[in-house]
Formats: sequence, structure tokens, C-alpha cells
Amino acid sequence: MDKHIENLLYTAVRYIFALGVAFFSLFPIYWMFTMSIKPPIEWASPDIHWWPWYPTASNYLMLFFHKNTLLEWGVIKPWEISVPETAVKAIMNSLILSISGTALSLFIGTFAAYAMSRYRAGGDYMFLTFRMLPPIAILMPIVMWLSTLRLLDTHIGVILLYGLFPVPFVIWLMRSFFDDLPREIDEAAIMDGCTPATTFIKVILPLVRGGLAVTALFIFILNWSDLIVALLVTYRTAITIPVQIGLYYSDIGHLYGIMSALGIFAVIPTLAFGLAIQKYLVRGLTFGAIKG
Amino acid sequence: MPGFRDWFRIPEKFKILLILPVQIVMNFTAIIPFALVWYIGMTNWSPQFVGGDWWRADFIGPYNFVLAVRDELFLNAIARTLLISAICVPTEFLLGFTLAYVLSGNFLGKRFFTLVAVVPMMVVPAAGGWIFYLMFIETGPVNGLLSIVTGHKVMIPFMNDPFWAMIAIMLADIWQWTPFIFLIMTAALLGLPPEPINAAYILGATKWYTFRRVVLPMLKRPMMIAVILRAIESLKIFDYPYMMTRGGPGYATQTITMNLYESGFKYLKYGLTNAQCLIIFISCIFIAWYAVKPLRAAQRGG
Repeated sequence: MDKHIENLLYTAVRYIFALGVAFFSLFPIYWMFTMSIKPPIEWASPDIHWWPWYPTASNYLMLFFHKNTLLEWGVIKPWEISVPETAVKAIMNSLILSISGTALSLFIGTFAAYAMSRYRAGGDYMFLTFRMLPPIAILMPIVMWLSTLRLLDTHIGVILLYGLFPVPFVIWLMRSFFDDLPREIDEAAIMDGCTPATTFIKVILPLVRGGLAVTALFIFILNWSDLIVALLVTYRTAITIPVQIGLYYSDIGHLYGIMSALGIFAVIPTLAFGLAIQKYLVRGLTFGAIKG
Repeated sequence: MPGFRDWFRIPEKFKILLILPVQIVMNFTAIIPFALVWYIGMTNWSPQFVGGDWWRADFIGPYNFVLAVRDELFLNAIARTLLISAICVPTEFLLGFTLAYVLSGNFLGKRFFTLVAVVPMMVVPAAGGWIFYLMFIETGPVNGLLSIVTGHKVMIPFMNDPFWAMIAIMLADIWQWTPFIFLIMTAALLGLPPEPINAAYILGATKWYTFRRVVLPMLKRPMMIAVILRAIESLKIFDYPYMMTRGGPGYATQTITMNLYESGFKYLKYGLTNAQCLIIFISCIFIAWYAVKPLRAAQRGG
């Protein structure tokens, strides 16, 4: 009987704790979502509205359409706050830059990861060390040589950085996937007449397709979340979503609703991809040290 | 062309070919910047000098380094970042570990709660900073909650108060990165062999005793890895102060990265900032060097 009560108590504590954590982790996101569908009069109303009283899509529309278009359509009234510039450029840039950067870093890193896994090429811990440095310490000179090469605020410049910065992650994550494959596969391929190059391309790469996909999503999340690199090397043509959120902050006061709408846009892909590769997140975050 | 084909046929040569792209990359991201940071740190260059390219800057020796260690804002930023780290990392660890342990058993809704607990980590940090800005504005839900609890209208301007702004930033960090510890510790708990734990129960150990003397020692390495990785990441904290306070009020929430960003790109003191970057760079290499050790052990040991 005592045991029974103890178990019941333990279950109760567990559920209370779990529910508390669920509330603590979800409420902020819920709040940003409600802000994104609130009209300007509700943004800073002194009586707090726990849910939107007058839900509207105008914040989202303002991200995509110009002020005059929306006025013509009658979606917003002339006295309502609207942004001078849409966020289409930032959203497109974020997509283009993150995807190309991811492709570049995968291309560079996968070869090196294979070399480190199979041929005992050194330097792997050097990359790990470099990943741990604060990016600002290395970005300052990078900005200078990018500006010397006239690559500041261009797509190519940002793609280069988005391709280079996550390389240590690619190396360690792909390496852990290569290490999972038994070496006998390589040996069998060599016995059957493959050269090292064809072994890698025709035998090993198809076997780590899943690992490549996981790594690609992981690196995409990293690039998509980046603020500081984009903040330092872009200012007009190549700005990304996180930078754009910050721009609304300073332009015309605080555009709570529009910033939140853009925030929702920023969160959706990372949330979807992150939960998709949840099983491998630990492996990625700990550089393959702990396999989840 | 036999020489060309050999690159794909002979393992030693193929290895060099595989490593080549990454070697080129390293030159651009690490070696050139590292040389540049030394050089600019020794000059008084600034982009404000019209027509003055950086390779023609005046060499002023280690003067910038003297200025750097006397720069009060910089030193304060370091102290503040260390303080944030010292408060956030243990809190995140305790919360994350407790959560992982509580959710490790079998119960209804386990998958759901595990999923939900990981969600904050997936939020883009910039958006996370913005979310917490919204939470702490005068008309935000934190004040709303305080109003409900206390019964009369509370409108504390959290972001204008040096103390509360720091608390808000720390809360954002804790909100976002507790799942990091939670994920690692969940994986570690799942990987534990059940035999020693069952044996302890059979031999009559209590739950607490088993946890302390059997489970904890087996979790030592994952715990160390989680804390070290988190500590290193927390030294880089930038997105939350940038989105929430821009380092303000005054300089009350300026972290290292924020400080370097402002003195470099707002006040354009390139020489001084590069000297400070170099100081941060070198001290972080030492930290990272020690941090890599347990990771290395885990990666070797599997």
C-alpha cells in the first residue's frame, strides 16, 4: 500500500514538472504567434490581451506586399503603421544563402571527413578547436579581407562564410557516420577492383545518404539561425531574416507585429527540420562524442 | 596522363586530394584572419581614414594592447559575460538534467513531453531574443502575470533597468539552452547499461542511493561534455543582448561579443578592437584546448 502511494506521488510530481516545462517552453512561442496576428492597437495595449481580440493577417501581408498595394486592396487603413520595405528580399536571401552555404560546406567537409575516418588524416582536433572560438574574434579580419576583395554585402561573400564556418560540424558529423560503416566494405570494394576514388563515390557515399541528409539539415539550421555573420558582412543586398528582424527594431520605433510575423517565418524551418532530425541532434551538437 | 590518374588510385595521394579543399578553406577562415588580426592590432587603422587602405596603415607597436587591457568597457564586458555563464550554465545543467531524469522513465505522453521540451532549442536565437523582448516589455505577459498575482497593475520597464535586463537575458539563455543539456543527458541516460542499476536495487539500495552511487558515476563523461560545450557557447552570447537591449541601458548588458561589435563597427576603432579580438582569440584557444580533451576521450572510446 505504501509503495502504491509512493508511485502515485512520483507520477504526480513527474506530470506537474513535465507540464510546467511544457508551459515554460511553449508559452513564449505562443506569445510571439499571438503578437504576429494582432493589429497595431493591440501591440502595446496596457490591458494585456492573452489572445488576439481582433486577429488580422496584415502583419504577414506587410512582409510580402508593399504598403501601397495593401492600401489599394484595403487590407490596411492609411493611419495604420506599415513598413516601407517588404521582407521578401530577406526571406529569399536567407533561403538562398543558407542552402548554398550548406551545399558548399557539405562538399568541402565530406571529403575531409572520409579522409579522417579511413586514411587517418590529421588535423581533426584543430577544426574542433576552431569551432569553439567566438566568431567575432575571427570575423573582424574576415570583414576586412572581404571588403578588400569587394565581396562585402554580396551573396558570394556570405555563401563563402556560410560554407566555411560549419565545416568542423560537417567533418565531425560525417566522420561519425563513416565510422559507423565497417571498414570491410572498403576492403571488399578494393578487392573487387575499385580504386580509392570509386570506392568512395560509388560504394561509400550511397551508403551514407541518410547521414548526408541529416548533416545537411543540421548545417542548414546552423546557417539559418546565424545572426552575427550576416550582421557584420551584409547591410543591404544580402541581408537575412535575423538581420531584418533587427532592422524593424530601429527603423520606425518597434514594429512588434511585423517583427513577430518575421520571427515566425524564421522559426518554422528550423523547428520542422530540427524535430525531423531530433534523433541525431545530440550527435551533431557533441561532434559525434555522444551518439543519441 | 598517368600522373593525373594516380591521384585517384594511390591511397596516399587520394588522401591529399580529399583533404585539399578543407586545407584551402582553413587558410581563408583561420590563417589569413589570424595574421591580419595581429597586423591590424599593431596599427591605428580605421575605415574612417579616407583613401587609406589597411596595408598602408601606421605601425604603432603594442600600444593597442595596453589600451585594450585598460579599456574599462571591455573588461566589464568580460566580467559580465563570465557572470552570465556562471549563472546560466549551472542553472541549465540542473534543470536539464532533472528534466532528463524525470522524463526518462516510462509514462503516458513521454514522447510528447520530450518533443515539447526540445522545442526552444530549435528557435532561431535572434527570434528567441525578440520573443523575450516581447515577454518583458512594460505591457508584456511577464508584467501581466505579475498584475494577476499581485492584484493591481504592474508595469515594470524591465529592459530599462540594468539588473532586470540582465535577468531577462539570462532567462532567455536558460529558456533556449536547457534543452541542449536535456537532449545530451537523455541520450546518455538511454545509453546506460541496466544491469548495474538493477543489481543495486536487488541488493537493497534505495532510489536515491542508486542514483548517487551507481548512475551518476556512469554519467560523468556526458555530464562534462554537456557542461563544457554549453559553457563555451555561452561565452559567445550575442543574439539575446543584441535583440533585447542592444547592450543597454547604457552598457549594462554588454557582453564580450556585443562590446567588440560596437567598438569595431559602431565606433570604428579597428586597431583597438583587433587587439581585443586577439586577446579573446588566444584565451579561447587555451580554453578550447582543455575543453577538447574529454570530447577526444569520448570520441576515441565510442
